Amino acid sequence: MGNDKHQKENPLKVNRRHFFSQLSVGIGSLALGSLLIPDLFKNDQRETIGQTLGIPNFAPSAKRVIYLFQAGAPSQLETFDHKPTLRKRMGEDLPESIRNGQRLTGMTSDQKTFPLMPPAVGFQQHGKSGAWVSDFFPHIAKIADEICIVKSMHTEAINHDPAITFFQTGSQISGRPSMGSWMSYGLGSENKNLPSFVVLTSRGKGNSQGLYSKLWSSGFLDSKHQGVLLRSGKDPVLYLNDPEGISRSDKRHLLNQVASLNKLHHIETGDDEIESRIAQYEMAYRMQMSVPDVMDISKEPASIIKLYGEDCQVPGTYAANALQARRLAENGVRFVQLYHQGWDQHGNLPNEMAGQAKDVDQASAALILDLKQRGMLEDTLVIWGGEFGRTNYCQGNFDPKNYGRDHHPRAFSIWMAGGGIKPGLSYGQTDEFGYNIVEDPVHINDFHATLMYAMGLDHEQMTYKYQGRRFRLTDVAGNVIKDILL
Amino acid sequence: MVKTVKNTWVDSTVMALSVFLIFCLLFESYIELPPLVAWIGRWHPLVLHFPIVLLLICIFLGLTGQKISRKLLALAVMASLITAISGFLLGKATEVKGDLLIWHQYLGAAVAIVSAIWYGLFESSFGKTLYIKGLQIVLLGLILMTGHYGGMVTHGENFLALPVDKSLEPIPENPLIYQDVVVRILDDNCISCHNPNKRKGKLLMTSFQDLLKGGKSGLAISPGDPGKSELMRRLRLQEDDEEHMPPDGKKSLAPNEIQILNRWISLGASDSVRLADLKDTEPLVGFIKQLMEPDRVEKWSKLPVVADSTLQSLSSDYLTIGRIANNSNALSVSAFMPPVYEAKSILDLNRIANNIVEFDLSGIPIGQKEMVLVASCMNLERLEIDGTSVNDSDLMRLQDLTELASLKVFNTNISDKSLPVFEHLKNLKHLYLWETKVTQNAIENLKALRPDLQVDDGMDEEGVKSFLVVPDSLQHE
Repeated sequence: MGNDKHQKENPLKVNRRHFFSQLSVGIGSLALGSLLIPDLFKNDQRETIGQTLGIPNFAPSAKRVIYLFQAGAPSQLETFDHKPTLRKRMGEDLPESIRNGQRLTGMTSDQKTFPLMPPAVGFQQHGKSGAWVSDFFPHIAKIADEICIVKSMHTEAINHDPAITFFQTGSQISGRPSMGSWMSYGLGSENKNLPSFVVLTSRGKGNSQGLYSKLWSSGFLDSKHQGVLLRSGKDPVLYLNDPEGISRSDKRHLLNQVASLNKLHHIETGDDEIESRIAQYEMAYRMQMSVPDVMDISKEPASIIKLYGEDCQVPGTYAANALQARRLAENGVRFVQLYHQGWDQHGNLPNEMAGQAKDVDQASAALILDLKQRGMLEDTLVIWGGEFGRTNYCQGNFDPKNYGRDHHPRAFSIWMAGGGIKPGLSYGQTDEFGYNIVEDPVHINDFHATLMYAMGLDHEQMTYKYQGRRFRLTDVAGNVIKDILL
Repeated sequence: MVKTVKNTWVDSTVMALSVFLIFCLLFESYIELPPLVAWIGRWHPLVLHFPIVLLLICIFLGLTGQKISRKLLALAVMASLITAISGFLLGKATEVKGDLLIWHQYLGAAVAIVSAIWYGLFESSFGKTLYIKGLQIVLLGLILMTGHYGGMVTHGENFLALPVDKSLEPIPENPLIYQDVVVRILDDNCISCHNPNKRKGKLLMTSFQDLLKGGKSGLAISPGDPGKSELMRRLRLQEDDEEHMPPDGKKSLAPNEIQILNRWISLGASDSVRLADLKDTEPLVGFIKQLMEPDRVEKWSKLPVVADSTLQSLSSDYLTIGRIANNSNALSVSAFMPPVYEAKSILDLNRIANNIVEFDLSGIPIGQKEMVLVASCMNLERLEIDGTSVNDSDLMRLQDLTELASLKVFNTNISDKSLPVFEHLKNLKHLYLWETKVTQNAIENLKALRPDLQVDDGMDEEGVKSFLVVPDSLQHE
């Protein structure tokens, strides 16, 4: 019979009907088994966590950041990286095996020799931790046990603008959101009456490089996350105050009318930036009260003024900004970004650095002590540092009294304090020339990842989709440096 | 033909169970069992003997060339599939799957699947060739090995129970550093591979002597020198490194645990030192105390559930209420000075009082009523009432806040009368107490009574002065 023949040809005895009936049983079993997998048909769990904005991914050790950015790149060899070898081998050419093909800037690429230059300043160990601090910074030396010095930072950029852009936004090419904007985006605002990201600038007498508002831009994030530059003087925020003859109730009336028009427009177009704008107007209205209040240092006691130095009463100085930073942090600003310009010492380094150090040394240390006595160091992370390091060889004429150092991306030092960072730790090491990192390198991406971790954010989870791609502050790299965390 | 129709449901069941089993094995890591399904696993020991006997009978008949009843084989195959599936479910409910169990699981699954294949080929022409004898012999071998491993799992050393039980015990008051702390860390993280059954890298971590002996890559521990200890090197590698320990797929040690191991090795890796034998300044003391503290996140998981809508309705432009972390019911509340202050905004928080773990009321003109509310926040860990008008009697209310770890009361009117409250707060670690009426004497007393409490009495004029002084040698013009 046909059936027998079929069976002989096909030892597994499978005909179409048989195949389908068995297949349905198989699929049924798979379905049964899939019931044991929870959330099989839900979205990826990680993604939903990443999307919950305004709340940390996990319990943070820091709630806010004060970033004391030393723009222009202070030399690591005159700050925290003590290298006696430079004195011993003073004037000798930097061995090629150490330089190892490092590209040079246009400023020293024509230089025939690279004579090693020792620092014009002494170094001493301080505190119980025995951290090395140069004599340019006698006050920071006194808080050696409160800070964590990272001597093994490295970056990819060799010129100021790409380097500072990289530090601020995680990319050398401008256009990405600043890290303060990322924090504002991820954590929201603590105080709804002040911006969550504030910028303060000051300038020393040393050789300066430009600062541009792109450094605190929110890039493709909502514009409410943009850094707000507070100016020194009468009008900290431009156009915030009402013109003469306009009372606060007039203003209220005006805002209500404008908001109702804007709402109509929003219904028509559905553009989210309109809602953002309404919120901005409301916040500006509240800021008319809160900003003058927070900027007014007249109620600070004399001891605090003494601590930060008399300079802190002069608006626009680094000391004034440092005190302001504490007041802003106290009032719930998430990210206070200070810039102090003037650290670009291609020449006349000993003099210029002494001046720059004098500007920032006392106020930086005072800020740490002040935060500490207020219990704010527990949850405020302070960072001090520039965008790259400087060469261990001399730029220009070899003169130990008046030398310069060129840009150096391979190794530099910064320090951090509070907010869950281990105090009294010196992390990472460079070789005896202070040129290459030999232990525990920390890349900018690692630094960003660690900063976000302290703030309770997973740098791999917090993304923003823009132009078809999910962007991160750390792009596609970065490891959290757990060794420097408490 | 008639026969095929008659046995359709048996065929289908065999097919269904096989597919289910294979599915379970393939997607094991994604599966989480509901309790009732996990309970089915408990039947494994009851049913497992049936397939052994039935299959052995079938194999015996097959090898001796006698006719095997199709019904008998069907029964044997179904029994083996059910046994394998129940075994899988039982294994899934185990916290840590040891080497033995994994072998047992896959061998058992192989028995079930090979016998199902046998059943599938039973009536085909292939079923009558010599190959089927080979299959029967393989099956026999598999049954013996599965049984052997299964026996070792149940009757061997306490292999499965070992890592699970120990971690649940709290660390005793004055622990032996090796036995109560180091072993606990190793048990949690290492022993599932470095035990007598598995001996990965020829390293055993189940006893002190074996640990000191080291393994294939050299000394796991070099007493006094963490730099030469293979253990420390591997723990500290980047997680994606081939040699990182614990290997891919297992959780890494917490930073604190790594520090404990590191410091313990630096101090000579002794098995007899107790915590109290160490000086207070020794970093290891701090690390171990940290480990002994209950985990904050775990504590928070027991807080009552609070809805986002509740938070939204209670918060305002001047009162920020936020979750400490995603999916957590622990709340952080910060109040800022509004143009017109009303106590109601704070008093309304009584709905979520038990959820508040951080409360910032700095500079808010709070009165007695608000302090009563604060005192009712039983889970409060951090309280900021600096720059307010609180007084000693307000502070008395706080003495039952047992979780309070950080308290800011600087710039207030409290006096020495409040000191007993601070002393009473057992979990208090940081106290900020300056610009108050508290006397220096009282502070010294408190420090003596509570050495674990850090009292920050601010920088007085002397402090500022000594900060400002720069030694001549450091002065630069």
